[in-house]
Amino acid sequence: MSEFISAQDVSFAYDPEEGQAPRNVLEGVSMRIRRGEFVALLGHNGCGKSTMAKLFNAMLLPTGGKVFVDGMDTVDEAVLYEIRRRVGLVLQNPDNQLVASVVEEDVAFGPENLGVPPEEIRRRVDEALKAVEMYDFRLNAPYKLSGGQKQRVAIAGIIAMQPDCIVLDEPTAMLDPRGRSEVLRTIHRLNREQGITIVLITHYMDEAVQADRVIVMDDGNVLTEGTPREVFSQVELLKKHQLDVPQATELTYRLRGMGFPMPCTLNEEECVEALAAYLPPVQAG
Amino acid sequence: MIGDIAFGQFIPGKSPLHRMDPRVKIVLIFLFIVFLFVAQNFVALALPVLAALAAIFLSGVPLRQYLKSVKAVIFIVLFTSVLNLFYGGGQTLLKLGFMEIKSGGVSNAIFIAVRILTLILLSAVLTFTTSPNSLTDAIERLMKPLKVFHVKVHEIAMIMTIALRFVPTLLEETDKIMSAQKARGADLESGGLVQRAKALLPILIPLFVSSFRRAYDLAMAMECRCYHGGEGRTKMKVLHAGKGDAAACAVSCLLCAAVIVCNILLPGSLT
Ligand SMILES: Nc1ncnc2c1ncn2[C@@H]1O[C@H](COP(=O)(O)OP(=O)(O)OP(=O)(O)O)[C@@H](O)[C@H]1O
Ligand SMILES: [Mg+2]
Repeated sequence: MSEFISAQDVSFAYDPEEGQAPRNVLEGVSMRIRRGEFVALLGHNGCGKSTMAKLFNAMLLPTGGKVFVDGMDTVDEAVLYEIRRRVGLVLQNPDNQLVASVVEEDVAFGPENLGVPPEEIRRRVDEALKAVEMYDFRLNAPYKLSGGQKQRVAIAGIIAMQPDCIVLDEPTAMLDPRGRSEVLRTIHRLNREQGITIVLITHYMDEAVQADRVIVMDDGNVLTEGTPREVFSQVELLKKHQLDVPQATELTYRLRGMGFPMPCTLNEEECVEALAAYLPPVQAG
Repeated sequence: MIGDIAFGQFIPGKSPLHRMDPRVKIVLIFLFIVFLFVAQNFVALALPVLAALAAIFLSGVPLRQYLKSVKAVIFIVLFTSVLNLFYGGGQTLLKLGFMEIKSGGVSNAIFIAVRILTLILLSAVLTFTTSPNSLTDAIERLMKPLKVFHVKVHEIAMIMTIALRFVPTLLEETDKIMSAQKARGADLESGGLVQRAKALLPILIPLFVSSFRRAYDLAMAMECRCYHGGEGRTKMKVLHAGKGDAAACAVSCLLCAAVIVCNILLPGSLT
């Protein structure tokens, strides 16, 4: 897989408040996002995940180092809108991302900004709404939708710009379990069927487990990265940095600590399988 | 839910008026309102009134909706009519102490009442048959020529769109904050005017703070979606005026011409 976003030794500081020295939020972070992969970005509160997301689509520019999107430097003003089109950013609160009072008009907002011809916008809007399974709601008012539905409309608004990559900053943080699974199913399908690169920032470990690759950040640095199994098998390291691991992993980890030789498990099924090996077989009858 | 009140205005439907080009609709309604005031006698006044009645009939909106909007302003109508009763000349009909009601006053009162009622009904036709979005869209396009005078037409329309979008959200939020403050023992219903106004502060301040937060988030979301003002922007929905719109324009122009003719030929009714 070729490289799509590459952050090279990026540092970043927000404009300091008056009389204070600027404080680096990111200090020399390097990471790569490959085309078509599903990456989960983890880290405790305030470690710079959202900042990283905004650097990916040129909402913020690095104070040191470089960010390239498909070979384009994000500081190059000439390609600013091309970068924002290719890397769509979905934010946490779905209420504050929807612009229009009709669903389909909101989805049309992005393509309208790009100057796409009207018939083409119509086609894209219908396609995008079908892709997130919200086509039947196209004439509804956003405020009458559930949180999960709103967030799917927000995703459709990004898809209508035909991006190569969608970065989602805690898209499920304000949703109930049902809305959460709707949104997750949608982004996994977009990744699988349309080959859209996904960067998912989350605090839910069960969401991270389903990614192709996990990157863990800690106070402006990359702590570790790898497949979910590689990352979550380092339970001590994660714990030391106040990070959770999936519950199944936690359980087998503790049992291992009590002297049961157990593999590292990532989800309920694996965990059940590992536990079953220790239980006496059930007597039939 | 309070949110429904604000949007009770538009009544979806498929009537000829619903399908009309909103730009044409706005212009024609505006034209009739102007001619309500151009008309100087009852015959001339009857023409825009007829147009309003025809529009009400064509809109397919239940009459009780119109009655509701009339009811909301009936006090103002009565008040102005009663004031006008005492103006105007003609025969004295009634003497109340130092005031007297003359025949001219009665005709004035009726004339003004009809004028205001028709005005209300015409604007009701517009809001009942046009969705807020087509309304802002039409206003943006109608105001486009003002760009010559550096009026920020696109920005104004954008502000209206966003305001419309956030009215229900903010109403809902107000509801929530009020419940939260009540749960903490805030008393919003009793006391004098000053006390009640003071009680509103703990509601307005959180509402303000959260509105700024929302505005900040929204601005960012808009930038993420490549928003950069009206320059080079297209629209998904293109408005186009059809045959029906042309017919409506023709009929309206004829009626307005007739109003002028009546004004010239017949004596004025207002004294
Ligand atoms: N607009 C801003 N101005 C100044 N400092 C900021 C701003 N936004 C974030 N910060 C600071 O930058 C640091 C990193 O913030 P960031 O939002 O990137 O963290 P995060 O990993 O997304 O956290 P969370 O999990 O809470 O969303 C924090 O210490 C925060 O206080
Ligand atoms: Mg964040």
